[in-house]
Amino acid sequence: MTEETEGTEGSWFQRAVFYEVLVRGFFDSNNDGTGDIRGITERLDHIQWLGADCLWLLPFYQSPLRDGGYDISDFYSILTEYGDLADVVELVEECHRRDLRIIADLVMNHTSDAHPWFQESRQDRTNPKADWYVWSDDDTRYPDARIIFVDTERSNWSWDPVREQFYWHRFFSHQPDLNYDNPEVQRAMLDVVRFWLDVGLDGFRLDAVPYLFERDGTNGENLTETHDFLKRLRKEVDISHPGTVMLAEANQWPADVVDYYGDGDECHMCFHFPLMPRMFMAVRREQRYPITEILAQTPAIPAGCQWGIFLRNHDELTLEMVTDDERDYMYNEYAKDPRMKRNVGISRRLAPLVDNNRAVSELLHALLFSLPGSPVLYYGDEIGMGDNIYLGDRDGVRTPMQWTPDRNAGFSKADFAQLYLPPLMDPVYGYQAVNVEAMQRDPGSFLHWMQRVLQVRRQHGDVLGLGSLEILSAENPSVLAFLRQLGDRIMLCVNNLSRFAQPVELQLARLSGRMPVELFGRVPFPAIGELPYLLTLGGHGFYWFELVDAPGAMS
Amino acid sequence: MIDLESLVPALSEWLPRQRWYSGQAEPTSLKIVDQEIRGDRFPILVRLLVEADAFVYQVVVGVRGRDEHPEFLRGHDQAFIADVSTHQGEAIAYDAVLDPELALVILDAVAPHETAERARLMGAEQSNSSIVYDERVILKLFRRVQRGHNPEVEVTEALAAQGFTNVPEPLATQRVGEFDVAILQPFLAGASEGWSLALTSLRDLFGMNDTSSIPIVNLDSPPPPPDPGQAGGDFSGEAARLGAMTGGMHVALAEAFGRHDADAGTWAAAIATQIEALEPGDVDPDGVDAILEQLTDLGAGAAGAAIRVHGDYHLGQVLRTDAGWFVLDFEGEPARPLDERRLPSSPLKDVAGMLRSFHYASAVARTERDEGALEDLAAAWEDRNRQAFLRGYMRVAGPGGILPPDPGCVGAVLAAFELEKAVYELGYERAFRPEWAHIPLAALRRLTEAT
Repeated sequence: MTEETEGTEGSWFQRAVFYEVLVRGFFDSNNDGTGDIRGITERLDHIQWLGADCLWLLPFYQSPLRDGGYDISDFYSILTEYGDLADVVELVEECHRRDLRIIADLVMNHTSDAHPWFQESRQDRTNPKADWYVWSDDDTRYPDARIIFVDTERSNWSWDPVREQFYWHRFFSHQPDLNYDNPEVQRAMLDVVRFWLDVGLDGFRLDAVPYLFERDGTNGENLTETHDFLKRLRKEVDISHPGTVMLAEANQWPADVVDYYGDGDECHMCFHFPLMPRMFMAVRREQRYPITEILAQTPAIPAGCQWGIFLRNHDELTLEMVTDDERDYMYNEYAKDPRMKRNVGISRRLAPLVDNNRAVSELLHALLFSLPGSPVLYYGDEIGMGDNIYLGDRDGVRTPMQWTPDRNAGFSKADFAQLYLPPLMDPVYGYQAVNVEAMQRDPGSFLHWMQRVLQVRRQHGDVLGLGSLEILSAENPSVLAFLRQLGDRIMLCVNNLSRFAQPVELQLARLSGRMPVELFGRVPFPAIGELPYLLTLGGHGFYWFELVDAPGAMS
Repeated sequence: MIDLESLVPALSEWLPRQRWYSGQAEPTSLKIVDQEIRGDRFPILVRLLVEADAFVYQVVVGVRGRDEHPEFLRGHDQAFIADVSTHQGEAIAYDAVLDPELALVILDAVAPHETAERARLMGAEQSNSSIVYDERVILKLFRRVQRGHNPEVEVTEALAAQGFTNVPEPLATQRVGEFDVAILQPFLAGASEGWSLALTSLRDLFGMNDTSSIPIVNLDSPPPPPDPGQAGGDFSGEAARLGAMTGGMHVALAEAFGRHDADAGTWAAAIATQIEALEPGDVDPDGVDAILEQLTDLGAGAAGAAIRVHGDYHLGQVLRTDAGWFVLDFEGEPARPLDERRLPSSPLKDVAGMLRSFHYASAVARTERDEGALEDLAAAWEDRNRQAFLRGYMRVAGPGGILPPDPGCVGAVLAAFELEKAVYELGYERAFRPEWAHIPLAALRRLTEAT
């Protein structure tokens, strides 16, 4: 999956653990009921203690908030409730002081219709920004471009009564697409990028990148022109701000997504979308094939690039890209499986998805932290927060971070009614039962386990971040075993996807003479010999071993 | 050099201890019919074809110095053949498949273009020994050989030529005189037997109510019975894909070896002969007669085609890989003569074999757990996966012109072959595993009562 990058130092993002933060939901520093930038700054201790390396902020730009902030009305200012530019500068500086990196969402494809660019563009057909958006006299062009939000949109064209023309939008009708064929638009967006890098951001998660350009006779996705622009963007930031990461959101098949790495000259990272539902499915089916199949279909990526992998994020468990039945029977499996069906369409957090089973949560994180790619955590999952499905689709997983068992989960001192969303209060996941303070005090808590596993991962960040992957044969279908290797350093990871204890025999004779050392307790296991290596695993158990030269072994 | 004739008495004693020896006692006659020696320094490989009581066996003999005491022989007393004298001094002769070094020589003999670093013996089968090289290729060494093409070689080559990709295509084969002695195929790394997957699914299902979130207020009333369709480990998706693969295999077999007119009467007669082996009380004779009559009544044309079939098709012969299901082992039942194994039959014979295997899996898993009230659940699992398998199978095999044209007749043919298989199973279990005889018995009763 990851190309051998032996001999290269690798870049920071190839080893990093990302932590996704919803500004609105993390911490409310001014007690107005809504989380803010300064709130994150005040709670960096938590993220640093946990062991994450890089914050990823969801959009914080000025916005009418008709699409969770992905409808930006000013790229240069902060949403008033979140604070101001000075707060962002302070947060960035504080992150860097702690050796944390910080990246933010950036929407390149479109703006809000409230953006002054659009307001100017719509006035007439001759104003200076008349050509900054995609306008047309009829709504028939680009018929092959699918409608992404089929539930709310009937066409990718909407009529503007002011300019008396149609404008193009791949997403909501209040999000007109920028016209990247206009060099002024390209320059304007490069200016936006440079501005935020000057502020100190370490990179961007680029939202909805496949749609920047439109061409007749195409579906308007993944066009050469789009790749060319991303390459241009990459070149500019490499020169002006080396060390910047561009993380692309392209919800497609790995074989297609790899195009966004170019020859190592386009995006540094892309999300690996299909791996996530398959990790859940593998545990549910108690067999490894959902995972190994998608890994087998995942091409190597250029040196210096990295996958972004995750268990949960702020969106629903995405299956949008899994609709090609011919290529993925998994879609049928999900559609058939009542539990997955119930959970997939709507937002669930990790803990409720696995019935609050701690062993499963640990196993899934062990997979996330040991498979190739940089793991992305979602705020609150480190304490096993639940969700509120009655809040509707996306808000269900965007409830306030649960810091303490006190009022409003310690998130805010505002009146309860003032909160942007109510914190969870149910008996299983409510803040009285699940919160950072209590879990900090409890050395056996899931939070402490997460902190420990991230410590271990950091110690082996080179192998896990840069190493090759080799899936090992195991007759037992419930066991997923693989090697990660970087040069002479080898890790063996063995995972039991079943809730029952399982044995496994691994053919490791070619590593004869090496001795597995378990990484959490540094316990040496019997050296590998010519015979199959037998391991037994408890239900949902896993091992991380380092394979060291056995003492006294001939090398 | 080595005096091979001096090995003959030792081989007479050694052969009967091997799993792939077809007789019971020492052969009354044994002679070496072919020999090849590789190497003149220890370890030396000697490949022999020996004829013992009209059967021909392939023996690969390793020769090493008597004082070497190789590690790989430890705990494998049955591999030792004899002490021998050689031009290099006193030596031991042993079964060379255990010798990782000589295994590489064996590979070189079959496929000189292949290189490998490591070999491991994968376990002994009834008629062959398999050696895996570098977890990449697998060499099947036929131990009991017959004149003419080995079906494994013949069928896998033909299927690969048809573009059927769910079989490991032969990379090389070795033929000595009239005998196929070895076949080299890709090793399906990361694969699991269908049997293991089915048991994983069943164990999950049977454990479904071990920990479920039953509201406390309902403690007094029992939890609802689990539904296989709701189980996390539901196998029906796999079963359907396995069915589709099986259909593809049959269509390819029909293309490769031809479609013949089915003779339902002959099939029925053959099955009737086997039923004579049953004991009184095993089945309801009227039920058996009804099944066989149904088959006979189909007559020509209505029973579908007779094609080359797998012949020994069950969950242990299929492997789940990252690229879907693969089918292995076309040797058929090794106890039967080659000509018989090649006889065309109904593709539904293989289907019946797999469906019987589903029943076995559910029964074995139920026995493992040994808890009451699992009967219905096991039956529900079997039924669900039977239906799924058949759905997948019919979707692919249906248009292939090999099945009874009237879908209603499929059931009649299938029932007859399930009956045949269950009779065979009962005989086998009574002879070797009496504690499992209840499984085919239950199937026989179910089949004969249903009609």
